[in-house]
Amino acid sequence: MTCWGKLNPVNALIKSLLLLCVSIASMVMLPGCDSQRKNDAAESSASVYHHSMDGAPSSLDPAQASSIYANFLAVNLYDTLYRYKYLARPYELEPNLADGLPEVSADGLIYTIHIKPGVHFIDDPAFPGDKGRAVRAEDFVYSIKRQFDPATRAQGAWLWQGRIVGLDEWKESGSDYEQEVPGLKALDDRTLQIQLVSPFPQLTHTLTQGFSAIVPREAVDHYGQEFAIHPVGSGPYRLQTFNSASAVLVRNIRFRQEPFSLQTEGFDPASQGHLGLEQLEGQAAPFMDRVEIEFVAEDAARWNSFIAGELDFIKVPVSQFDQVLVNRDPPALNAALAENYHVIANLESGFVHTDFNMDDPRIGYHPDPELNIRNRALRCAIIEAFDWQKRNEIFYYGIGYVFDGIIPPAAPEFDSQQTRVPPARDLEHARNLLTEHGWNAENLPVLEYGFTFSVTERQMFEQLRSFLGEIGYPQEKIKPLTFPTYGEYARAYLNREVMLMTIGWTMDYPDAENTVQLFYGPNASPGSNTANYNNSRFNQLYRESSGMQPSAERTAIYREMNQIVIDDCATISGVSRRLILLWNRDLAVLPDRSFVGGFFFRFVAPRSHPGGLQATE
Amino acid sequence: MRYVLSKIAHGLLLVLGVTLISFILMVWFGPDQTYTLVGKNANPQQIAEVRHELGYDQPFAKRYADYVAQLFTLNLGASNSSGEPVSRILKRTVPVTLALMLPGFILGNVLGIALGLTAAQHRGRWTDHLINGFSVTGMSLSFLVIIIVLQVLLSTPYGLNLFPVRGWQVNDPGSYLKYVTVPTLSLILVTLGYNTRFYRAVFVEESGKDHIRTARACGASAAAILWKHVLKNSLVPVMTRIMFSIPLIVISGSLLIESYFGIPGIGKVTFDAITSGDQPVLKAVVGLTAVAFVLIQILTDLLYRLVDPRIS
Repeated sequence: MTCWGKLNPVNALIKSLLLLCVSIASMVMLPGCDSQRKNDAAESSASVYHHSMDGAPSSLDPAQASSIYANFLAVNLYDTLYRYKYLARPYELEPNLADGLPEVSADGLIYTIHIKPGVHFIDDPAFPGDKGRAVRAEDFVYSIKRQFDPATRAQGAWLWQGRIVGLDEWKESGSDYEQEVPGLKALDDRTLQIQLVSPFPQLTHTLTQGFSAIVPREAVDHYGQEFAIHPVGSGPYRLQTFNSASAVLVRNIRFRQEPFSLQTEGFDPASQGHLGLEQLEGQAAPFMDRVEIEFVAEDAARWNSFIAGELDFIKVPVSQFDQVLVNRDPPALNAALAENYHVIANLESGFVHTDFNMDDPRIGYHPDPELNIRNRALRCAIIEAFDWQKRNEIFYYGIGYVFDGIIPPAAPEFDSQQTRVPPARDLEHARNLLTEHGWNAENLPVLEYGFTFSVTERQMFEQLRSFLGEIGYPQEKIKPLTFPTYGEYARAYLNREVMLMTIGWTMDYPDAENTVQLFYGPNASPGSNTANYNNSRFNQLYRESSGMQPSAERTAIYREMNQIVIDDCATISGVSRRLILLWNRDLAVLPDRSFVGGFFFRFVAPRSHPGGLQATE
Repeated sequence: MRYVLSKIAHGLLLVLGVTLISFILMVWFGPDQTYTLVGKNANPQQIAEVRHELGYDQPFAKRYADYVAQLFTLNLGASNSSGEPVSRILKRTVPVTLALMLPGFILGNVLGIALGLTAAQHRGRWTDHLINGFSVTGMSLSFLVIIIVLQVLLSTPYGLNLFPVRGWQVNDPGSYLKYVTVPTLSLILVTLGYNTRFYRAVFVEESGKDHIRTARACGASAAAILWKHVLKNSLVPVMTRIMFSIPLIVISGSLLIESYFGIPGIGKVTFDAITSGDQPVLKAVVGLTAVAFVLIQILTDLLYRLVDPRIS
């Protein structure tokens, strides 16, 4: 035995260092503690809804509410003139801050909107005496002008660009807020008038967007750039805390008292009778004292948190579907979960599609008519080789809605009979197309498929490569073009540098105009027509339909446009994902990630027990 | 004093060099926020407006000079995403990261030193093999796997359900312990293997030196050998490792820990800034990390002289 073995100095060392460690940790801990010492006693009786999101907003300024996450918060912290009925499916418009639907002139150019009386912004230091003032029509005018002011870095101007008389000119002349816009007027404190350049039937839909939320000028001036984290609105909730991990909203006690009506909201007893919503009848929203939103991008952490009872709502990660569901369509939970949770499959209001860059002569339009025809044959062969069933099975758990064309099932104009549903795969025909048009392994172009780097995207690329391998496309001629961030990817495809690009489009409103515009020639990159598709007949039909009110005639035009894109083989499309949503049975609510979106927060209520609504905590 | 001043002068040059290189990387190869901020149907004019608002159209030299001036005046600008002043973001998030990371950092090093000493003391015996085996296992496990397994075991009904899965509602020492325990255990498990292996190698090398044999021959006690001769003479590499880990803990934090445990620290903010291209935040974190490294280097050099008078 050496002298080393006679004692155990390690213990002594550990003891000393542990003491040091605890001391340092204690010293460091105190400033790191959350400064908002909560009034636990007061809040323990409050009703709290714990919501989870799979991403986080970076700004709470409605002008920058371009993501679903930012929009969820914007429509709760601010008021929009309109919203969608909470329970009606298909989705229907409902006045929110507006006192009724707009009065539209016979030529469809002038919209007159009255706003509800007695609506106030929340109390905030931005106002004289810290007291929130009444919301006025002028505030809406100001909020829309902000979208056109470059200093705002707004992202929603495209909704009204070229639509409202004088608004684009207002921007051109320097965005002076003192200067009036002829087509955007507050006739009095409660009356608003919008004059359009040409009929735009989707205008009312755009007024449901977070982008159109009404902000007070005093708050924007008071907080400057920091307005993005100091929301001052008149929505059902006000912000308590916000950081990269969570946001806490508390009830706006000054929110207008409007009795909830099942009939108005489109309640369907047959499909929604089990949700406990009847208890809300006649009561005024919001029903929860607090909404705590956790931003959890990591699927495993989100699921663990939900199972531990920390969350009331979750969008179930695809990796958990097998553990959660005993039936896919319609979704049914396993017995253990069904006891405590409700489930729905929420069809997304959009679709995923892979566009060919039609501006690239290797695959798109070619000045030589003969080569142009060959390129079309090549695109059609690629589309026919694409196995949507496998794509759906592997990446969307087989519950995605696969369809052909550019009008997704969430659009009222969708017609499942119009096209092959799901898109049929015809390898034989695809091979023949290539052969008939002189394509072979030697002269096929190198396909560059762009994507933001992630394991899933890479797997999707490999799957595409294997599909095309089945029609004889050499594997080495299908190359990945990866980008580290979405911003870089967007820069590349908006500069027409990507040959094949996969795009997810979330519809802004339930009207197929919002998706057919994706293929309208003048909207080519850097606009939303990322395929740079340009078909004169299509463009003519788009212009014809753009001022039309919803009608059978307009639907027929949309469907013809859809068919033109399908026949031109401009895009490999598509799938609308179904999201599996789970929520606590102790709540009376119908969650939605589609057009109702964040508007449902105000209607979340603790499920009643005898004696009316009660707190969950 | 002359030594300190010379170190500071070298440090300043180093900061300029590091910031210049990182700035070049950020500007030419870093994410461009323009296309994240433009609306859905942008035209070239709108893209140019956003670039102008972000300052991307400024000459490189001016942008770099502004950056250096910001660093020296600590006026770090405002986040492009939220508009919040960067200095306030740092003030809000760095203490959280410190409170989150320090216990794991300290315990990971303390236990690493203890296990390293034990292994060195019993070199070649089963204790040494056991510790080595444990270390290699720890090094082989993915951080992500450790986090998820600990969450399931300690924080969900599938396991003990003792701690919250996520959050940071820290009001008092009790709540602090509640929220920090699982992240700390994760951090210890993932770092302990590396630390133990490193410290063991240092202590083994030191314990084989002549002065240790001499001390033993002179009848020095094992405790004295360990404390006075092995540990004290190994302080230079030990200190180097610990000191140079500090800036990473303070500034960069731990993205995985903060993301998976829902903790609003600087790691998550930095990651978001990288992915979104929020250059003011990114520039501040990179610049301050460089400054912190330089300061730590100066401090470490001074400490070297303190613990080992032979260093001049």
